[in-house]
Amino acid sequence: MNVELVLFGAFALLTLLSAGLVILARSPINSAMALVSTFFFLAGIYVLLWAHTVAVVQVLVYAGAIMVLFLFVIMLLNLGESAHRGKPTLSRILGGASAVGLLGVLGITLSRVPAQPANLGPQAQATFGTMASIGQSIFTQWLLPFEAVSLLLLVAMVGAVVVAKSRI
Amino acid sequence: MVPITYYLLLAAALFCMGMFGVLVRTNALVVFMCVELMLNAANLTFLAFARMHGDGIGHVSAFFVIAVAAAEAAIGLAIVIAVFRSRGTVNVDDIRTMKH
Amino acid sequence: MDGIIDFFRTAPIPPDVLAPSLWLIIALPLLGAFVCGVFGRMLGRANVNLIACSAVAGAFVLSVLTFWATSDSAGGRVVNFPNPFGLERDVVRYALAHDYGTWFAAGDFRVNFGLLVDHLSGTLLLVITGVGFLIHLYSTSYMEHDEGYARYFAYLNLFVAAMLTLVMADNLVLLFVGWEGVGMASYLLIGFWYTDPAKAWAGRKAFVTNRIGDFAFLIATFLIVLLVGAFNRQADPRDFNAAGTSRERYEQALSERGPVNFKGLEKMAQGLPEGTGGKVSLETPIESGPLEGHTFGGVMTVAMLLFLLGAAGKSAQLPLYVWLPDAMAGPTPVSALIHAATMVTAGVYLFCRMSSLLVLSPTAMATIAIVGALTSLLAALIAFAQDDIKKVLAYSTVSQLGIMFMGVGMGIFWAAALHLVTHAFFKACLFLGAGSVMHGNGDETDIKKLGGLRHEMKWTWGTFLVATFAITGIFPLSGFFSKDAIFHGVEHNHLHGLHWVSEVVYALGLVITACTAFYMSRVYLLTFEGKRSSEARVAHAHESAWHMTLPLVVLAVLSVAAAVYAFPLMPRAGGGMQPVFENFLSPVLRPAETVAKAAETVELDNSTPSLLAYLTAWLVAISGGGLAAYLYLSFFPKRAGQPVGAVARAVRRVAHNKFYVDELYEFIIIRPIKFLSFILFRVVDSLVIDTVFVRGTAWVTARVGSALRYLQSGDAQAYAAVMAVALLGGVAYALIQVLQ
Repeated sequence: MNVELVLFGAFALLTLLSAGLVILARSPINSAMALVSTFFFLAGIYVLLWAHTVAVVQVLVYAGAIMVLFLFVIMLLNLGESAHRGKPTLSRILGGASAVGLLGVLGITLSRVPAQPANLGPQAQATFGTMASIGQSIFTQWLLPFEAVSLLLLVAMVGAVVVAKSRI
Repeated sequence: MVPITYYLLLAAALFCMGMFGVLVRTNALVVFMCVELMLNAANLTFLAFARMHGDGIGHVSAFFVIAVAAAEAAIGLAIVIAVFRSRGTVNVDDIRTMKH
Repeated sequence: MDGIIDFFRTAPIPPDVLAPSLWLIIALPLLGAFVCGVFGRMLGRANVNLIACSAVAGAFVLSVLTFWATSDSAGGRVVNFPNPFGLERDVVRYALAHDYGTWFAAGDFRVNFGLLVDHLSGTLLLVITGVGFLIHLYSTSYMEHDEGYARYFAYLNLFVAAMLTLVMADNLVLLFVGWEGVGMASYLLIGFWYTDPAKAWAGRKAFVTNRIGDFAFLIATFLIVLLVGAFNRQADPRDFNAAGTSRERYEQALSERGPVNFKGLEKMAQGLPEGTGGKVSLETPIESGPLEGHTFGGVMTVAMLLFLLGAAGKSAQLPLYVWLPDAMAGPTPVSALIHAATMVTAGVYLFCRMSSLLVLSPTAMATIAIVGALTSLLAALIAFAQDDIKKVLAYSTVSQLGIMFMGVGMGIFWAAALHLVTHAFFKACLFLGAGSVMHGNGDETDIKKLGGLRHEMKWTWGTFLVATFAITGIFPLSGFFSKDAIFHGVEHNHLHGLHWVSEVVYALGLVITACTAFYMSRVYLLTFEGKRSSEARVAHAHESAWHMTLPLVVLAVLSVAAAVYAFPLMPRAGGGMQPVFENFLSPVLRPAETVAKAAETVELDNSTPSLLAYLTAWLVAISGGGLAAYLYLSFFPKRAGQPVGAVARAVRRVAHNKFYVDELYEFIIIRPIKFLSFILFRVVDSLVIDTVFVRGTAWVTARVGSALRYLQSGDAQAYAAVMAVALLGGVAYALIQVLQ
């Protein structure tokens, strides 16, 4: 029983609990809050994977910016608890069942694949997952996709304004 | 050392829960949140494999996923607002515009 | 004297300078056609006339220079070019050629855009551009009241360009381009006055009939290509040695110039005969490929017979001659240029060009000679009873072409080519004369309603008389010599194993001569002699403008002067004298002679006709003409008004109706095809394709679509659920596959 495994178990359990709350909560605001906590616990898991930078960005962007956006919209639209839960139609039953089935299949598959983390040397340990190494990689090898993503964000920004406007 | 398999199993569980929510929930906002869950599951897979191979590319991919998810959330929420404005509801049962 | 000979032996433009510019001869009329066709309306009548005439005149000047260059022997060095298919020393003398590179290639097959001018094509170049220019000049006056002048001259220039391509091509495929080009130009010009349904229909008839022939031509070309391939595979060094080449050179030339090059075909012909001692002879079976098991000689015969069908379409021979008389629907200068002087002789040219292959197959030669003789006789008999001046001339053209085919079929190629040239002169003169008559008489074509024009149209009368004498074969005009040269060759050449053909064809030839004299005299007498008919459209005919009479005079002079070519003035290699034209064409036709000698298929005789033979031919012609003169000047005028015997009436009716050949074709070919087409239309097209396939497909699609409509709920979540189920199915399937 090492510390890492204990931490992993705790974070994983909490993540799954929060995720369960997201899909089961009646009120969207509860779902949103559960989602924030899911993101926090996931950030913990990321740290366990030596992805410190991504973990920070997860908290900043996801749990911070995006979720604030969600909450704003929920409040803007003044959505309370929905009056009805939605009828259990055939497509819902089929869809839910197939999601559960997929979990089963993936579980069987993955449990048969023994995968171990790589043994990184001391030099790699010093740089793996750091802001410097990721930045180097993004601004050299992945510069074009990076610029494309920046363009995408610009387009999304303009698009969001155009779609959501009542009148410019 | 935690086996990478555990992380992958966790990602699979998250993905399936997100998918379950997308397919079952009626509130468009919650559906969006569940999509975010699925994206995070994908991110977790990227990072787990990055750790498994000791390769930084997985991290870069995770960055891009986060950026795209931000864009998607912005557009998606704008659409939700527009739909709510014109129809007064965000219930997917009441929005059946894909029919002709 | 030596100075004069030196002058003619030194071309003004040296051959090696001229050869790369040969394409200009084709390009000039083509450019003229483009300019007249596209900008004609803008340019106005005078400019179109100028452009069209000068384009052809330019081509004529270039042709003269080229022709001159083919005889160039300045400084004792005869003009030549290295034969690509021969050994290094092997040169083609008295010829220019230039290869402009690959036109298209597919696998081993290659066609080059190569032009070749030797004495045969050089002569034809002069005829086409020379007569073509005269007819352009004539047309400027003849078409002066027609609105479609720009279109007319564009088509006419296009025709000249296509015909020049046909003649100058150095391979079969390029020749076929010209072959199709002249067919198209002919179609366009026959149907020139397309608002008249009968004329448009005549154009279509010509086109469809030619198409049948062209199909045969194409198949024959394919056979030749296969034959060349088989020869290249199976020949051994002795075969190549007999052809004056080696395997390496031959194969290299095949890959550079393609299998349809005439020089290559000539080499194959030289390698095929039995006497070469090589592995391949006419009886050798082909070892592989689509023709496996057939002999070289057999395939050659089939190919040549197919070429005969192709040539029969273009040159109006049995069984495809029916289009030519109807082609007279076009403007008269067109009839003169295309349907008398140049295009219809393409078949004769083709066989002269491929003479070395043709002599390998006595069967095909005999067939050609017999077809020619029968066509000639039938056309001459039909011409007896035609009253339309252009129709008579059209049947006379068919008949004269038949005589050329007789010459080609009996292996006397030079005489056939000479008759081609002289016929181009006198027949163009006759047609233009007929056009002049029509022009001066309010477009009257019925010779019964003309008459007495001798005093009113003096130039037309004089030239028509000269041309009539020429075609009739009156000494000493050119037609007499060229026709007699053919008949002499027909009598004295013998096909191996088919000796009777000579005698039969010769006897038919004499009958044809008499018939020709008769019907041509009849046309002449009814048109120009006697009293003016009471049914004439205009009281007094007027002579045409100089644009029209000048070509008539030039052509009449040429009809007389061309006789020089048939005089035996040149020394023969083996002693004695030979006709000028035979000597002139010998560089082109010598391979055919050597092949014929080696293969022992044709016994070529090269004696000169005796005086007795000349006298016989002359008497036959005179008797035919004399009979016509007696009948139409004395006998019929006296008997006018008296009842005609029933038999005579019946004979006349049958001849007048062209022996019901059109009706026969209608009955045995067109009706069944129409019936078949009707069945195809009703059952295959209407029922199977339209109803079952087309509408059926639409019906099934519509039903399936309306059934599937219920699946489209518009519920995005339901669609996602379907995706999820499919994803689950796919992943589960993959898992099961992996687990197994």
